[in-house]
Order: sequence, then structure tokens, then C-alpha cells
Amino acid sequence: MSLAKGKLNTPYIVNSVNTEHEGIREFLFALGCYPGERITIISKLASNYIINIKDARYSIDEDLANAIMV
Amino acid sequence: MKVALAGNPNCGKTTLFNAITGKIEHVGNWPGVTVEKKEGKVKQNLNPNNEDLVVVDLPGAYSMSPYTSEETVTKDFILNERPDVIINIVDSTNLSRSLFFTTQLLELGIPIVVALNKSDLAEKSGITISVPLLSEKLKCPVIRTISTKATNNGLPELIKAVITAGKSDRKQEAPLKLVTAKALSKEDSEKADKKRYTFVNALVTEVERKKMSPERQTIQDQADRIITHKWLGIPIFAAVIYLVFSISQSWVGPWLADIFVGWIDLLYESVASLLGEDVNPVLGALLLDGIIGGVGAVIGFLPLIMVLFFCLALLEDSGYMARVAIVMDRFFKKVGLSGRSIIPMIVGTGCSIPGVMATRTIKNARQRRTTAMLTPFMPCGAKLPVIALFAGVFFGEKAWVGTSMYFLAILVIIIGALIIRQITGDYSKSYFIMELPKYRVPSIKRATISMFSRAKAFIIKAGTIILVCNAVVQILQTFDWQFQVVAENAPETSILASLATPLAILFIPLGFGLWQFAAAAVTGFIAKENVVGTLAVTFAVSNFIDTEEFALVGGSAEINAIFGISAAAGLAYLVFNLFTPPCFAAIGAMNSEMESRKWLFGALGFQLAMGYVLAFLVYQIGTLITAGTLGEGFGPGLIAVAAIIGIVVYLMRKGSRNKQISSQIQTVKGEVKL
Repeated sequence: MSLAKGKLNTPYIVNSVNTEHEGIREFLFALGCYPGERITIISKLASNYIINIKDARYSIDEDLANAIMV
Repeated sequence: MKVALAGNPNCGKTTLFNAITGKIEHVGNWPGVTVEKKEGKVKQNLNPNNEDLVVVDLPGAYSMSPYTSEETVTKDFILNERPDVIINIVDSTNLSRSLFFTTQLLELGIPIVVALNKSDLAEKSGITISVPLLSEKLKCPVIRTISTKATNNGLPELIKAVITAGKSDRKQEAPLKLVTAKALSKEDSEKADKKRYTFVNALVTEVERKKMSPERQTIQDQADRIITHKWLGIPIFAAVIYLVFSISQSWVGPWLADIFVGWIDLLYESVASLLGEDVNPVLGALLLDGIIGGVGAVIGFLPLIMVLFFCLALLEDSGYMARVAIVMDRFFKKVGLSGRSIIPMIVGTGCSIPGVMATRTIKNARQRRTTAMLTPFMPCGAKLPVIALFAGVFFGEKAWVGTSMYFLAILVIIIGALIIRQITGDYSKSYFIMELPKYRVPSIKRATISMFSRAKAFIIKAGTIILVCNAVVQILQTFDWQFQVVAENAPETSILASLATPLAILFIPLGFGLWQFAAAAVTGFIAKENVVGTLAVTFAVSNFIDTEEFALVGGSAEINAIFGISAAAGLAYLVFNLFTPPCFAAIGAMNSEMESRKWLFGALGFQLAMGYVLAFLVYQIGTLITAGTLGEGFGPGLIAVAAIIGIVVYLMRKGSRNKQISSQIQTVKGEVKL
């Protein structure tokens, strides 16, 4: 499923990043978000998600949350 | 010896750079403050043997494969200029991500020294890192640093390690043996990156001990939930900005300004008595009214600006600004921008030039150009005296004028972005991702340093460009075309008046069709502070701060007597100055970031049109409300405004037709692919 459908505070394992944008996939990789790594939703806001990858918090929008498959 | 500073965004590169070079480059607690490389020499006390040490601060990067253009600056510098040593700054609170970039740097053969920065924060969050083990595994020196601290910060040890590394002939060994062919295929480089991360993950489990899981909810997360809340986010932002303007323009600022303006008045009087009665009246007026009066009127706002910058620096340091980006992302996305665009705009509240330069962090070309076009609408430091002047003169309560100009600017930016998206017909979306920095108690010391560096720049500008402009304005208004001194009762015969009058006619529908205002708007393109200076010189008022003079009489009648315009026209003039093209220097920055003449001229035309239309609406609607009738020149103004709107609508229609065509092409391509 996509991360957008995920529950709060539940660690998920990234399965794939489903996008045609090659750049964003590489960028996410550099942050440590790639198949096999853990990702957790910390909170869901209006149309943004605050997520935890490795030891950092990021804010991502719904489109990106939909692209990350867990 | 050339030393480069490289590391992830917001790991404290510029803070460390400032600490070892003694410079005062802009820092902020969010990723992407630095977009250009900066050079400095290491301070004497850290470099006792006087080695030739040049340090280059680079924009933050997450890896050697750049995503945005400021990351490219970092990669290109390291690969092409081959620094002698690289200080790789690693955020101790995020070891595993930071070390990924480290492994890439270690493969270049350039000696690396790792600075384990923010080690105080790591300790506080219960993270312990074994430095000797890390150093052994990475095969390079690792030094613990706290660059925000003045003493016992690890910086002398860091510089010592850098000098040793730079002098030895030893080539940097990579801890990870990878096939590093020059042109790797995409698959191979992906494989290599995976190996790097596997290595880093194994390394981190060995050297790092954590007390808490990073995935646990913290108080900061609770705070984020309120601060970036769907409905509360905007009111909180408004309250914060209102507070900033209240402090700077209603509480502390005016109190300081009163004292300060007293000194300027004293200077004026003492120079006047020094000159005595015998001095040439033209020269006396040039010195007193032109230079001291004009520059003094601008300098008088210095305390207000300093207090404002102090507050803004505290906000930047706290980590709040990154949250504003989240709050605004929702609205910006609807008009084809993203939350990323808010960062250049926040930087632009200081000065539009670095603001426009900060648009480099935006990947999508249309979004970047649109943001560069709209960032100058944010009230910059130079526009502040203009706002403060009109807020003080026309409206007793000051803080709401500044705050509403701020939010009007955001509204205008959103409308502007919508129009530009229509005109370009480019509906491409981009993903939004931004690292959230941790909140921290802002440092008074850093805010003070930032405030004084801004104040210095402001004083220098006032003493150079603004002084010259005021002198020229004074001379032009003193003489007529025959180079005769104009008569006291006929100021409209001066060179300045005859030059500005044709322009002033255009401003009649906006309520300020006086040559003085036209002249001030023009000098404003050289520097926005000039608006205040020129008004001071042409109306021969030097003290704009002591609004009690105006407030005593209270009514708009007295203001009329000084400026000859109504409050509605005053607000229209303020709006006109805020939403026309910025100063020439900022236009230059727009030119270099847009990389397109077409976009630049489009932007200038758009900004002029925006200023004119808004000022027209403010004046005419304002007059209708206050006086019950339409303002002067409504008919011709309406024709002009209708023409502008007509052109914009035509361009938008044309743009959206293009959009349909391009999306059709895309579907066709998609079918071919299938």
C-alpha cells in the first residue's frame, strides 16, 4: 500500500518509490528512504505528512506520500 | 591551503564557518540558507603558526548526485577545484544519513577531516558516539565540535587536524572498496550507493548508542501538530508577525527612535549654527535639508529596523520558519508553487537580493522563475521605513499596518502565481519534501550579531547611495532650467518638478498625482529607502518619527497640509511602492536567477501593472468609503486598469490554450509508448 494510507507511529518498511521523477527517487535514497529501510508517520496535517526517516523528521506532501509504497 | 566545508543541509556549516573565520554570514535554523560558496581566512587565534588557510563554505548537500542547483555548486567545487582538505561536517544527531555523504567524499582521494558537530545536542538526546572507533573505521580524523559555543568547542583541535592532514602526502583511503569507473551506468551507481548505505548502517550500529528511538513522539512533535495545524497554522503565523511588528514599531522601536532622532535634530541645529548667517543659502540648504535632513529621515528609522531584524533573527534561529513553509505549502500548491517558495520569501523580508538568490533551491524552472518574480513583493528591510512612515503619519495604530502589508504581500503573491501559471500554461506539479529542523531556544547573541551586521549595511547605504541621491534631489529642486535658484513661492518651476510632473499625471487616478511623490517613486528604484529621503527633501520635513507632531492635530486635515493627500491616497502610495518592481540591485538578481530576458521583462511589466492596479483600487475604494465619492481621475484610471486587466486576461487565455495542446501531445506520446 502507499504510505498515505499508513497509520501513525507504526514503522513501515519501504517497498518501492513509485514515480516517474528519477530525481526525487535519488534524493529520497540519499536521505535513506529506499527499499528495505524503515519509515514512520509522525503526524498527518492538512495535506502534509510529517515522517521519520533514520534520525530526522521531514515534511512531505500527499503526492509524495502516495508515491512511497510500503 | 584551500579547505572546503561540506555536509548535509542545516548541519551547521555556516555557523562553523563563522566561528573559525570570524565572519558574519547569514545563518538560520532551516535547510538551504546558504546557496553560494563563501570564502574566508581562519582566525589568528585558531591558526597560531599563521598558515595560509582559506576556508570555503559550501551550500549543503545530501549526496554527490545533486538534486537542486545549490547542491550542484558543492559537487562542482569539490570535483573541479580540488580543495586540499575537506572538513566534512556531520550532524551528530543524524549520524547514519550524514555518513552516506561522508562515504562518497572519502572516495575522492582528498584528505577528509570529519567534524562531529552539534555534539552537545546529541548528548542531550542521549546519543553517544565512539569517536576513536568511528575514526578508525572511516580512516580519517574525527573531531567532536560545538560551533555555537565560544570556548571548549573543539575548533582549535579541528584546525590542527586540518593542517596536519593538508601537509601530509598521504592520499585519503576509502573505507569502502568500490569499482569507481568514471562513467558508471545507472544500475551500477545505484548498486554502489546501496553498498555505501549498507556499510554506513553497519558502522552506525557499532559506534552509536541511543537511549531513545527517533521514531518516538516528542514534545516537539506535539508542538508541530498545533503550529502547523490546518486551521490554527495561519492565525498563529499572523499573531507571530503582528507581535514582531508590535515590538519593533509600537513598543521598543519608537522609544529608541525618539532618542535617536533627538541626536539628529541636535546635529542639524549645531551644523546650522556653525554655518551661521553668512553662508550661501543654496549651499546651506544642500547640507542641512538635502544631506542631513534627507539622510537623517532615513537613518531615523534605523532603531525600528534593528529591532525588527533582531526579532526576525530570533524567529529564524528557533526553527519556526520551516514550519511556516508547511503551513503555506497547501495554499501555494493550489497556485502551482510549493512550500519551498516560501523560504526565498522569508529570506526576502530582510533583503530581496538574497531572497531572489534563494530561489535556486527550487528545482522546477517555472516555479523558480515565478518565485523570483514574486519574492520582491515581500516587504524588505528597505521598504520598512516607507511602511513605518505611512503607518505613523496616516494611521495612529502602527502594528496592524505592517502586519496587513505582510499578509497583503502573501495574498498578492498567491494571486500573482495563479496568473503566471495561467499565462505560462505550465501546470506541472512537483513533490514537496523538506527536512524539519529541531526547535531550539534562539540565541540572543546570534540575533544581536545579525542585527548589527544589518544595521551596518543600512548605515553604509544611507551614507553613500542615499546621501548622493538626496543631494541630487536637493540640487534639482533648487534650480530651474536656467540654473537660477527657484523662487520660494514657485517650487513647481524647478528641474525636478518639471521632470517629475509628466509622470505625476499618470498617478492622478491613484490619488498621489504630485510631482514630489512621482520623484520619490523614481528614486525608490535606486534604493527603496530613497522614497522616505526624497519625500523629506521635497516636502522639507526631516522628522518623520516624532509622529506626535502629526498626532497632536489628529485629523487628516493637517496631514493634508503637509503632504497634500488623503489617508486613502497615502495607503495607495504605500501599496504602489511595495508592489512595483524592486530596486535595480534586486532586478539584477532576478535577471541572473531567471536566465531569460523574456521572463525578466515579463516580470517587470507584471510588477508595474500589479502596483498600478492595486494602488488604483486602494485609492478609489478607500475614497469611496471615507468620502462617499469616487476619487479624482477615476475615468482615465479605470480605462488604464481595464486595459491592463484585458491584456493579462488575453495572455492567460492564450496560455491555457497552449496548455491543452501540450497535454494532448503528452497523451499522444503516452499512447506511442504503450
